[in-house]
Amino acid sequence: MHHAHGLVEPSPSESMESFLNGLWKQNPVFVQVLGMCPTLAITNSVRNALAMGLATLFVLVCSNALVALVRKLVPRQVRIATYILIIATFVTIVDYMIKAISVPVYKALGAFIALIVVNCIILGRAEAFASKNPVGKSILDGLGMGIGFFFALLCLGGVREILGAGAFLGYPLFGPNYQPWVLFLLPPGGFFTLAAWLLVFTSWQARKKRRQAPAEVQS
Amino acid sequence: MNESLGHIFLDSLLINNFVLSVFLGICPFIGVSGKLATAWRMGVSVIFVITVSSILAYGTNLLLVNFHAEYLRIITYIVIIASTVQMVEMFIKKTSPALFRALGIYLPLITTNCAVLGVALFQTAREYNFAQSVVFAIGSSAGFALALVIMAVIRERLELSDIPHTAKGTALVLMLAGILSLAFMGFAGMGQGG
Amino acid sequence: MSHAAQPPKTAPVQIPASAMMIRVMGVVSLVCGLLIVITYQGTLQPIRRNQETILRESVAQLLPGVQKQIIYQVQPDGSVRILDDVQASVPKLFAGYNSSGALLGIVIETSERGYADVIKAMYVYSPEKQAIVDFKVIELKETPGLGDKITSDRDFLANFRNLEAKLDAAREKLLHAIVTVKHGTKKNPWEVDAISGATISSRAVGRMLDKSARQALPVIARNLGRIQRGE
Repeated sequence: MHHAHGLVEPSPSESMESFLNGLWKQNPVFVQVLGMCPTLAITNSVRNALAMGLATLFVLVCSNALVALVRKLVPRQVRIATYILIIATFVTIVDYMIKAISVPVYKALGAFIALIVVNCIILGRAEAFASKNPVGKSILDGLGMGIGFFFALLCLGGVREILGAGAFLGYPLFGPNYQPWVLFLLPPGGFFTLAAWLLVFTSWQARKKRRQAPAEVQS
Repeated sequence: MNESLGHIFLDSLLINNFVLSVFLGICPFIGVSGKLATAWRMGVSVIFVITVSSILAYGTNLLLVNFHAEYLRIITYIVIIASTVQMVEMFIKKTSPALFRALGIYLPLITTNCAVLGVALFQTAREYNFAQSVVFAIGSSAGFALALVIMAVIRERLELSDIPHTAKGTALVLMLAGILSLAFMGFAGMGQGG
Repeated sequence: MSHAAQPPKTAPVQIPASAMMIRVMGVVSLVCGLLIVITYQGTLQPIRRNQETILRESVAQLLPGVQKQIIYQVQPDGSVRILDDVQASVPKLFAGYNSSGALLGIVIETSERGYADVIKAMYVYSPEKQAIVDFKVIELKETPGLGDKITSDRDFLANFRNLEAKLDAAREKLLHAIVTVKHGTKKNPWEVDAISGATISSRAVGRMLDKSARQALPVIARNLGRIQRGE
C-alpha cells in the first residue's frame, strides 16, 4: 500500500486524487470491468449512452452522499440492506425523472434504468468508499467514478453509432452513400466493441508498466 | 400480449437469450465461466432462484397494483430477490447438504446478478399472466445457464492454446461472447413458420 | 493520513440490540419513502402530459389537417367513452376532426411480435372509405437494414394508402381477413404486398392489422354516431 503510494504522482490534494482515481486509474468499466450489462446493452447510440451515464452518475453521487451521511449510525449487520434501500430509492427517483423529462429516452433505456440498482459499481462504492469517508469526499468519489463510467459509455456508444449507423448523436457523418456497418448496432457489436476497448486499455497499461520498470531500477 | 407459452420459452431461451442478446447477467457470465463444473452449478442455482423470485414478484406486483403503490416496485423487487436468495440458501442447506456444499459461494452471489431483477421487471412490463411469467422465468434462466455452460466449454478448450498476453481474460471472453451472440442471432425468426 | 482517526470509532462497537437495528432501518426507510413520494407526486403531471403530447403528436402526423382530437377508451361491453387517464392500459381510439368538426379518421394502436421483438404501430381507419388509409410504426427493434424496411420501404407503405377493411352485413366480422402475401403477388385490395427479404416483419404487420381491425372495427361501427358527433 505505502509502496504503491510512492509510485503514484503526488496530487494537489487527497480529495482530488479520489476524484481522478475513478475517472482514469480505476475506471469502473475499462480497469475494474464492472457494470458490464448497461455498458453493453444501451450503448447502441450516443444519446442512450449519455442518458444512461447521467442517470448512473446521479444515483452514484446521491447514494454515496447519503451513505456517507448515515455511515456512523448504521449497525454493521444491516448495512448492506440499508445501502440497497438507499440505492433503490434514488433509482426510483431517476426512473420517474427520466419519464418526466423525455418519454422516447425512457422507452429506449427501458428496464435498464431500474437495473441501475444491481449495477455493482454503485453498491461497490457505497461499501468500499462512502461507508468509511466523510460526505464531501464521498461525493467527489461518486463524481469521479460516475464520470469515468459516463466516459466509458460514451466511448462505446460513439464507436457503435459511428460505425453502425454512420452518425453521431443522430447527425449523419458520411453522406448518403455510406453503407452502415449494421452489426455494430446489434448485440454482437456490443461485445466486439467492448473487447476492442479493453484490448486498447490493457496494451496501453502494459506499455506504461514496461516503460516505468527500467526507470525505477535506475533511480 | 397474448403469446403462447411455447413461444415465450423459445424466445427467452434462444432468440432473446438473456446473456447474448439482452445483456443481462454479464458479470457472472464473465466471472464463473472459467470451469465447466462451477458453470453448470451456477446455472442450476440461477434457474432455481429466478423461478422462485419470479413467482414471488408476480404475487407482489398484484398487491402493489391493488394498492396503487407501483412506485415501490424497484425497492420491493430487490428486497424480494435478496430474501429469496437467503431462503433458497437455507432451504438447500436443510434438505440437501451435499448440494449446498457443491453450490458453496455461488448462491449469495446471485443477489447481484441483474438477470434475476431483469426477469421480474420484464414480466411486469410485458404484463405476463402467471403461467407466462413462470415459463418466461424458466426459459430465460435456462438461457443464462446455457450460455454459461457453452462459454465454460470453450474456455476450458482454450486453456492450453497460445493466446497473446494482452487478449487474455475479459477481452477474450467478450470476443468469444460476440461470436456466440452472432451465432444466436440465427435463431431470430424461429417459430414464425417462414 | 485521515485513516488514523478511524479505528477508535469502530473499535468500541458493542453488538447492537435488535431495537437499534430496527430503529435505524425505520428512519432510513422513512427518509427514502419520503423522497420517493415527493418525486412521484412531483413527476405525475409532467409524465401524463408527456405521454399525452406524444400520442397526440403521432396522431397529428397520421391525420394531416387535424384540428381537434378526442381519445376514446373501449369499455369491456363494447361501448366507448372519453378517456380520462392516458396511462390506463385499455384499448384506445383516437378520433381526429378537421376545423369544421367533421371526422377525418380514427387512429388505432396495435402491436405484434416481429422477427426480433414486438413491433408497435398505429394505423388510420377511415369509416367513410371502410379502409385503412395510413400506417406508421411507432416502436421496433427489427434487424436494421432488413426488418426495419417496414418503416421506410415506399412500395410497402403504399399498401396502406387504401387497404380494404370492410365489415360483413352483420357488422361483426371482417368481410375479408387482412393478409400479407408474397412480394409481387398482391391481387385483392385487402392484401398486403410483402417486402422481399423482410417477409417475417411484413407478415407481422399484416397480422397486427388483421387482429386489431377485427376487434376495433365492429366497436367503431356500433359507436360511429357518437364518435362523429364527438361525444
